[in-house]
Amino acid sequence: MFNFRTGELSINISENNRAISFIRKFLSKYVIQIILFFLILVSSFSFFIFYQNGLGLSYNDARSHLDIGRRVVEGLKPGIAQLGSVWLPLPHILMIPTVWNDFMWHSGLSGALESMISFVVTALIIYSFLKELKVGFVGRLTGVVIFSVNLNVLYLQSTAMTELLLVMTMTAGVYYLMLWSKNENILNLIKSAFFVMLSTLVRYDGWFLFLFSVFLIIVEVLRKRGYKTTEGIVILYSTLAGFGVVLWLLWNLLIFKDPLYFIFGPFSAYIQQEQLQLAGNLATKGNLLLSIKIYLYSVAYNCNAFIAMLGLIGAIVLCVDRKIKTSVKIAVSALLAPLIFNILSLYLGQSVLFIQGLSGNTWFNVRYGIVMMPAIAIFVGYLLHKMNQFKLVLIGLMVFVLFFSFVNLDAVTIDDARVGSSQKNVSEVSGWLRSNAKNKPGFVLISAASHDAIIFSSGLPMSKFIHEGTGEYWDLATASPNLWARWIVMRTNDLNDSTFKLVRKTKAYRDGNYKLINHYSFADIYEIKEEYVQNLNMKPILGKQK
Amino acid sequence: MHKNLFSTFLLSLFCLIVLGLSLRGAEGNPTDSSINQAHWKNNGPFELSPERGRFALTYSLVEDKSFQFSDNIGKFASPDVAVHNGKFVSLFAPLLSFLTIPGYVFGKYFGISQVGTFATISFFAILNVILIKLISIRLGANRITAAIASAVFLFATPAFAYAVNLYQHHASTFLILLSIYALLKSKKAWPLVVVFFSCAAAISLDYPNLFFMFPLGAYAISRIISIGKLKKNFFVKINLFKAFTPFVMIIPILFFLWFNHVSYGNFFQLSGTLQTEKNLDKPEDLPSFSTLQTREKEKAIAKKTAVGFFNARNILNGFYVHFVSSGRGLIYYTPVILFGIAGMILAIKKKVAMMPLLSGIIGANILLYSMWGDPWGGWAFGSRYLIPSYAILSIFIALFLTYWNKKILLLIVFLIATFYSIAVNALGAITTSAIPPQPEVLNLEKISGAVQKYTYVRNWDFLLSGNTKSFIYETFLNNYLSSVAFYLILTVSICFFVGAIIIYYYLNLHRKGEENV
Repeated sequence: MFNFRTGELSINISENNRAISFIRKFLSKYVIQIILFFLILVSSFSFFIFYQNGLGLSYNDARSHLDIGRRVVEGLKPGIAQLGSVWLPLPHILMIPTVWNDFMWHSGLSGALESMISFVVTALIIYSFLKELKVGFVGRLTGVVIFSVNLNVLYLQSTAMTELLLVMTMTAGVYYLMLWSKNENILNLIKSAFFVMLSTLVRYDGWFLFLFSVFLIIVEVLRKRGYKTTEGIVILYSTLAGFGVVLWLLWNLLIFKDPLYFIFGPFSAYIQQEQLQLAGNLATKGNLLLSIKIYLYSVAYNCNAFIAMLGLIGAIVLCVDRKIKTSVKIAVSALLAPLIFNILSLYLGQSVLFIQGLSGNTWFNVRYGIVMMPAIAIFVGYLLHKMNQFKLVLIGLMVFVLFFSFVNLDAVTIDDARVGSSQKNVSEVSGWLRSNAKNKPGFVLISAASHDAIIFSSGLPMSKFIHEGTGEYWDLATASPNLWARWIVMRTNDLNDSTFKLVRKTKAYRDGNYKLINHYSFADIYEIKEEYVQNLNMKPILGKQK
Repeated sequence: MHKNLFSTFLLSLFCLIVLGLSLRGAEGNPTDSSINQAHWKNNGPFELSPERGRFALTYSLVEDKSFQFSDNIGKFASPDVAVHNGKFVSLFAPLLSFLTIPGYVFGKYFGISQVGTFATISFFAILNVILIKLISIRLGANRITAAIASAVFLFATPAFAYAVNLYQHHASTFLILLSIYALLKSKKAWPLVVVFFSCAAAISLDYPNLFFMFPLGAYAISRIISIGKLKKNFFVKINLFKAFTPFVMIIPILFFLWFNHVSYGNFFQLSGTLQTEKNLDKPEDLPSFSTLQTREKEKAIAKKTAVGFFNARNILNGFYVHFVSSGRGLIYYTPVILFGIAGMILAIKKKVAMMPLLSGIIGANILLYSMWGDPWGGWAFGSRYLIPSYAILSIFIALFLTYWNKKILLLIVFLIATFYSIAVNALGAITTSAIPPQPEVLNLEKISGAVQKYTYVRNWDFLLSGNTKSFIYETFLNNYLSSVAFYLILTVSICFFVGAIIIYYYLNLHRKGEENV
C-alpha cells in the first residue's frame, strides 16, 4: 500500500498467512537440524582448510596422540597397554576404530574426527543451555555463533588435540547438572555424572570439575534437604562421576605397578615441571597474581578479549538476576571450574603456560584458555537476552571484532602450534628416515616419549620402530643395538632421552658400530655400519608378547 | 530561546578567545625553499609528520596547483609520502587538506598561512562545542549543564591539544555530532541527507571513520526501511521519498575517487596502502626518528591489506593504553570523562533516546583503535583517537549533572576532576604533541643518552624550558610573560569560567529549590 502524502510503501502480512505460518512452523520444528547442518558444514570446511595447509598437524602433541592410538592397533607390540600413562586414555580409545587406516592416521582425521564431533555437540549444548535459561532465539543463536566462529576453536577442532573433547564432556556435564538443579530429576544428575566421568578420562581439568561439582551438589542439597539426602545423592553422583578416576588409578596400578605412576612417573607432567622449575621457567609457581594474569591473558587471546569481557558482564548479570533460581545459579557456576583449575594448577606449579610478551618471547600451551569458550558463549548469549535495546549494538560490535579476527587470521593457537614451544619442526629427521629407511629392511630404535613427532612425520609404519612400548624388543635393542637397530634416533648426550641413556653404555655404541648420519635440531641419526648389517635381526621374530 | 542563543554565543566567544591564545603557528608564510627549516618543522608549528603531511597537500594545492609534491614539499611531508610516476604524493586521506584551503589563503593574506590553516580546525572545534550543547539539551540535559559539558569536552580532554593543530579529529567529530543532531532534530528526510553525506565525506577525511559512521548510516537506513510486528501483522515499511537520500553519498564518493585517480592513478587506491618513500626520511632529531619507526611498523602491517592495521589480539593492550596507561590513558589525561561513563549508565536506565546509537559509536571507536597496531597514535598527546568518544561522553556528563544535581559532594569531586583535566590538557595545547609512546622510550634513551619522558611531564619540562607552540604568546607576549605565567593565566581562566558556570548552576538550583519550598 502506497501513501502519496508520506511517500511510504507498506507491506503487511498477517501472522496467519499460510507461507508465514509454514516458515515459522518449519523453523521451530527443524531449528536444531538446521543449526546442526551448518555446524557440520563449518566443521568439515575448517578441517579441510587446515588439512590442505598442513596446519592440522603442527602441534607436536597432536602427532603424539595419533601415534598412541595407532600403537594400540599396529606395531611390534600392539595392544591396549599402549595407551600408556602420559595422557588420559579416552581420546586415544576413541581413535581406535579409525586409526588403523593409514590415511586416517597420517591425515590426523582419526583424532580430528572426535574433535569435530565434540565441536558440533558443544555448540548444540550451548544452544540448549541457553534455551533452558529462557534465553530467546537471538541470544541462543549468538551463543552458538560466538563459539563456532572462534578461529581458535575452529583450528583445534580440526586437529587431534584433546581440548574440544574435554570442552564437550565438561559442558555436557554442567548442562545436565543445571537441568537437575532446575527440575530435580535424578536422571539428569546421572547423565551429568556420566559426562563428568568421561571428562575425567580426557584431561585432569575433568578431575577438578568432578570435585567442584560434588561440592556444588553438597551445597545445593544440604541447603534444601539436609544431611541424609545429601549423603545419598553425593554417593550416587560420585560413584559414576568418579568411576573414571578410579579406573585410571587401577590402570596405573595394573600396568605400571603404581597407582600414582601418572603423577610421578618418568614422563609425567610433574617431572617436566620440575625440570622447567630448575631452568627457572616456572614463574607462576607460588605467584597467584601472575597465575591469574597469565591465565586471563590466555582466555582473552583464545576467546577474544572483547567477547570475554562481555562474557564477564553476562556472568555478573546472570548472578544478580532474580528471575534465575539460586540452585540454577549454583549449578551454572560449574562453568567456571576450568578457570579455577587452570589458575590453581599454574599457581601450584602443576602446569605451565607461556604468553608471548609476559613469559619471554614464546608461546606454550596458550590453548588452555579455550576451555572457557563455552562458558563465555553462554554468558554472552544470556547478556544479549537481557540487553533489549542494545541487542543490535552488541551484535554489531561483536561482528566488527570478529571480522578483523578473520581477516587477519588471528588465532593464537595456530601461532602456538607453528612458532611456539608447542611445535616441533622435525621435518629434517623424519624426512631423512622417509627417504632412507622406508625401502630398506631393519628397525629404527627411538624413544617414543621424546620423539613421537618424528615417528609420526616419517610416514613409516609403526612396526618399523622399536620404542619403550615394544617390550622385549626395547630391552634387547637397548642392550645390544647392533643386533636389532639398523638406525638409532636419539639426542646424543641428553640423559632425558631414554635411548641415549641406555645405548651409551653398550659395547656396540662405544666401539663405533654406528656412524653418525647427521646432527639435527631435535635428534641425531645413527646408522649401523655396512659390515655389521649381516648380524641384524630385521624381522619381528619375537611373536606375540604378553 | 534568546537566553539559549546568548549563552551559546558567550560560550563560543570564550572558546574562540582561548583557542585563539593557544593556536599554533609562527610569523610568516612558509615557502618551497624555506619550509624544511627547523623553524617550521621541529622547532616550529609542524613538529610531527601528520600535520606536515596534511599541510603539504594544502600548500601544493594552493601554491603549485598540484596534487603531487615538489621535491622540497615531499621532503617536508616525509615519511608520509609515496612516489607515484616519479612524483611525491600524500599518504593521507585528502579532505582535511581541502577544507583548510580557505584558512590557508586567509592566513596567507596576513602573512601567517599556517596559523590560518590551524584556525580551520579551531573552527570545527567550536562547532563541536555548540553541537554538544545542542545535543545534550535535546537529550534532556539542563542548558547550563550542557554548556559545562561542552566546555569540558574542549578544554578538559585531549581534544584541546588537537583543536589548535592540524589533525583530522575535530572535523571527524563534527560530522558525527552533526549527524546525531540532525537525527535528533527531525524525522523528515533532510537529516538523512546530512547523515549519508557525512558518512561518505568522513571516509575521505580519515579512512577509519567508515567504522564510526557505520552505526549512524545503519540508524538512518532504519528510518527508510522498518520491519516489525504490530499485533498479529508483520510489516515492512519503505519510505520512497527518503529512499533517495543515500544518493547524496555520490558527491563525496566521486570527490574521493577523483582524488585517488589524480594522485595515484587508480580510482580505488587507498593512500594508506601505498609504500612509504623511505629514502627521503633522514632522521634529523628525535620526533622525526620516532615517527619513522612507528611508520615503518605500520607499513609492515599494511603490506598485507588495508584492514591488516587492525588486529583483535591487540585489544587488551589497546584498552590498557587508552584507559589506564600513564602515557595516554584516560584516567591520567582526562579523568573527568569518567563522569560521562557514569552519565551513560544513568542515561541507559532513564531510557534516553538514541542510546544504542550513541553507545554503538563509542564502542566502534574504542574497539577499532584498541585493535590498531599503534594505539598510542605515534608521538601524540593523550589518546587522540578517542576524541569522538570524548565528545559523546561529554554529552553524558551533561546528563549526569542534570540527574544528580543535588549532590554537592559529587559536584565538588567533579569540579576537582575538571580542574585537573583542564590543567593537563591546557599544557598539551600550548606546548607539544610530541610525546613518545612508552615502548619507544628505551630505544630513544639509548640513542639520545638522556632520560626520555613519555607522559605529560614531558610537556611540563617543555614549558619550563621557556617554550610554547602558541602563536600569540611567541609573537606578542614572549617579552612580557614567562611561558609558565602564560600557561597559568590560561588554565586559571578556563577553570574560573567552568567553575563559575558550575557554581552558578548549583546556586540557581538551590534558589529554585527554596522558591519551590
